Amino acid sequence: MAAINIFHYLPGNSVIHRIDTRIKLVCMIMLSITTSLMGRVWDYLFLTIILLLFFWLSGMPVPRLLKELKYFHLLILMIIGIQAFSLPPAPGAFIPIPGFTLAGLKSGLLLGWRLVVIVIICLLFTGTTQISSLRRAVEWFLHFIPGLPAARIGTMFSLTFVIIPLIFDRAAEISDAQKARCVSGRKNPWQRISFMVFPLLRRTFEQADEMAMAMESRCYSEVYRKTAMKTSGYDWMALGFTALVCGFLFLL
Amino acid sequence: MAKTSPLNLRMTVYSSLFTALIIIGGYLSFPIPMNPVPVVLSDFFVLLAGLLLGASWGFTSVAMFIFLGALGLPVFAGGKAGLAVIVGPTGGFLFGFLAAAAVIGWIAGKGKISVLKDLVASFIAGVIVIYSFGVIGIMLVLKTTLLKALAIGVLPFLPGAVIKVIAAVILAQVLRPLLQPQFKSNANSNDSNDNQ
Amino acid sequence: MNILETQNLTHIFPDDTIGIHDINLRFQAGEFTILSGTNGSGKTVLVKHFNGLLTPSGGRVLFEGKPITANLKYTRSSIGLVFQDSNNQIVGQTVAEDVAFGPENLGLSPTEVKRRVQKALTAVDLSHLANQRPYVLSGGQKRKLAIAGVLAMEPKIIIFDEPFTGLDYPGVRQVLQQILELHHNNHTIILITHELEKVLGHAHRIIVMDRGKVVMDGSPGKVIAGIENYGLKKPHGNVETMTWLQ
Ligand SMILES: Nc1ncnc2c1ncn2[C@@H]1O[C@H](COP(=O)(O)OP(=O)(O)O)[C@@H](O)[C@H]1O
Ligand SMILES: [Mg+2]
Repeated sequence: MAAINIFHYLPGNSVIHRIDTRIKLVCMIMLSITTSLMGRVWDYLFLTIILLLFFWLSGMPVPRLLKELKYFHLLILMIIGIQAFSLPPAPGAFIPIPGFTLAGLKSGLLLGWRLVVIVIICLLFTGTTQISSLRRAVEWFLHFIPGLPAARIGTMFSLTFVIIPLIFDRAAEISDAQKARCVSGRKNPWQRISFMVFPLLRRTFEQADEMAMAMESRCYSEVYRKTAMKTSGYDWMALGFTALVCGFLFLL
Repeated sequence: MAKTSPLNLRMTVYSSLFTALIIIGGYLSFPIPMNPVPVVLSDFFVLLAGLLLGASWGFTSVAMFIFLGALGLPVFAGGKAGLAVIVGPTGGFLFGFLAAAAVIGWIAGKGKISVLKDLVASFIAGVIVIYSFGVIGIMLVLKTTLLKALAIGVLPFLPGAVIKVIAAVILAQVLRPLLQPQFKSNANSNDSNDNQ
Repeated sequence: MNILETQNLTHIFPDDTIGIHDINLRFQAGEFTILSGTNGSGKTVLVKHFNGLLTPSGGRVLFEGKPITANLKYTRSSIGLVFQDSNNQIVGQTVAEDVAFGPENLGLSPTEVKRRVQKALTAVDLSHLANQRPYVLSGGQKRKLAIAGVLAMEPKIIIFDEPFTGLDYPGVRQVLQQILELHHNNHTIILITHELEKVLGHAHRIIVMDRGKVVMDGSPGKVIAGIENYGLKKPHGNVETMTWLQ
C-alpha cells in the first residue's frame, strides 16, 4: 500500500523529458539561484512566462501544478501576511489597520511569488525525471569531488526510496494485527503510537539486516558505477537557452 | 545474526532506513490534546537517529534527507520539496535537525551509555538546538522580531517537542540492543514469516 | 569433483543458540537437492554459510575445492542465493536497475551489464516490466525479479530459500517452472522447502535437518519413509511424479 505517493515523476517523452538528467539538474540549479537573487516585478514576470512555456512543453497537466501549489498555499499566505505587518510604516500614509503597510504587502507578495516560481522549477524537474536517472546524475557529479563516497551516496539515495514502501507495508500489517486486538480502543494517543512504533521499528530493523546481507550476497561494492549516459547537441542547446535566460535576468 | 557484513554496509542501510523514517514522519501529523497545532514526527526520528546510529551516521541520515529535498523530491513535511522550503521560513528547522542529530549522537555516544545522558542529550538537541535554529530561520527569512518568531515558531510546538524527546529516549532504550550485531532476538524474523 | 562441500561446519550464536552443528555435506554439479526441516532447524543459517554471509564458529565451506573465503567475490557470484523474503533482496528503483545491481558490483562494462539484464529478465519472463517500480509487482513477480537479480551474476549454483512462501497457486507454478528451467540449463539447484508435495518429483536428493543437524540424506524414495519423525508432513502419492506442475 503506497498510500502516500511520494514520487512526482510523470512518464512522458516531451522535449523536457528528453534532456539529459545531468544537464537538466544544472538548469534547475541555475534557475533556482537566479530566482533567489532577482528582485524586480519584471524579472518575476519574465521568468514565470518562460517557466509556464516549459511547463506547457513538458506536457504535464495543469491540475498537477495546482495540486503542487496547494501544498504550499498556507506557507505562501503566511509569508504575505507576516511581511505585510512587519515593515515600519511610511510617515504620513494613513492605513486603518494597525501595523499594516503597503510596502510590506508588496514585499510579501514578491516573496510569495518567488516561492511559487521555485515550486514550478522543482516540479518541472522532478515531474520529468525518473528517480533512478536522477540518482545516476547525482552520483556522476559527486564522483568528481575527491574524498566523497559517491557510490555510497548513490546507494543511500536508492535505498531510501526502496525502504519507504516497505515501511508502509509493515505499518499496514501491524495496524491490521492491532485492530484485530482492539489496540485502537485505547484513548491515550501516545500509548497508541508506542504500540505501533515499537513493533514497526523492530520489524523494519530486522528487515534492514536481511537487506544488508542480501546486498552483500550480490557482491555489494562501493566502486563508482559507470553509466551509459550520453549528452547530445540537443542537451547543450537546452543548457545554452537556460543560461541565456538567467544571464538576461542578471544583466538587465 | 553474527555478521561478517562489513559494518559500513549495515550502517549504510540503517542510515537510509532513518532517512526514510524522517521523510515518513513528515507525512504523519496528528493532534495532541489541548494544543492548537498538530505535530509531525520528523524531529522524533531525527532524535532517534542520533541516539541509535551515533553522531556521524545520524548526521548522514539527516543530510541525505535535506539533500533529497534540495533536489526537488517531495520529502519535506506534508510533501513539500525543493529549495523553496530550505530557504523558506521553516528552513531553519531543517538545519536544526542536522545539528540536532550530530549533537545528540555526540553527547549520548560519549563514554558510557546511560538513560540520563540520553535524556539530557535529547533535550538539548530536540528542544534547544532545533528550536534555536528554527527561530533564527524565521527571523532571517520573515525579518521579524525575536518575540514574534518565538510566538509563531516555538510556543505552539513546545508541548509536542517535550513529549517527543521523552518518547525517543524510552524507545532508544529498547531498540538499541537490536542494533548490536551480536544480538539475538527471540522472535527470529525468518520464523515469523514462515507460512506453514 | 564436488562443486560444494562443507567440513564440520558449525555455527553457534553469541547467546549459545546452536544454529547448525557439525555439518558435512557434498554437492555434485548439476544436482537438484531439496533441503527440508521444520522451522528453526538451521536451513537458512546453513545456506548463508554457502554464500559466506556468516563466519563459521567451526569448520569450513569449500567451493570447487577451495575455501570460499579465498575469494568471496567469486564465490558469491558463482553461488546465487535467493532470499526467503524477496522484499529484502530488491534494492533497485526499477526492475531493470535492480537486476543490474549484481553485475554492476562485479565491475562489468555498461554494455555487458545491459546484456546480462536483458538475458536475465527474458529468462524469468519479466522483460515487459523492465521499467516498472518493483513495489508494484505481485508476490510471484517479485520472487521472479529476485531470481533474475541472482541470474544476472551468472552463478553455477542457485539456492532458493523457501521460494513458495506466500505465493498463490499460479505463483507457485510460475516459480517452480522457473527453477526447473534453470536446472535444465545446467545450474546446480538447492531448494529449501517443507512443502514437499510441490516439488519432490523433480529432486535427485533430499536432505532433512533437525535442530541444527543433518538427520537424513538420500534419494526421495528412501528418505520419505522416515520423514514424519522430524516434524514434516509426509506427502501422499507417488514420490517420483510428485509436483504441482501439470
Ligand atoms: N540472529 C540470530 N541469533 C540467534 N539465533 C538465531 C539467529 N538467527 C537464527 N537463529 C537460530 O538458529 C536456528 C536456525 O535458524 P534458521 O536457520 O533460520 O532456521 P530455518 O530452518 O527455519 O531456516 C534457530 O534456532 C534460530 O532461532
Ligand atoms: Mg529459514
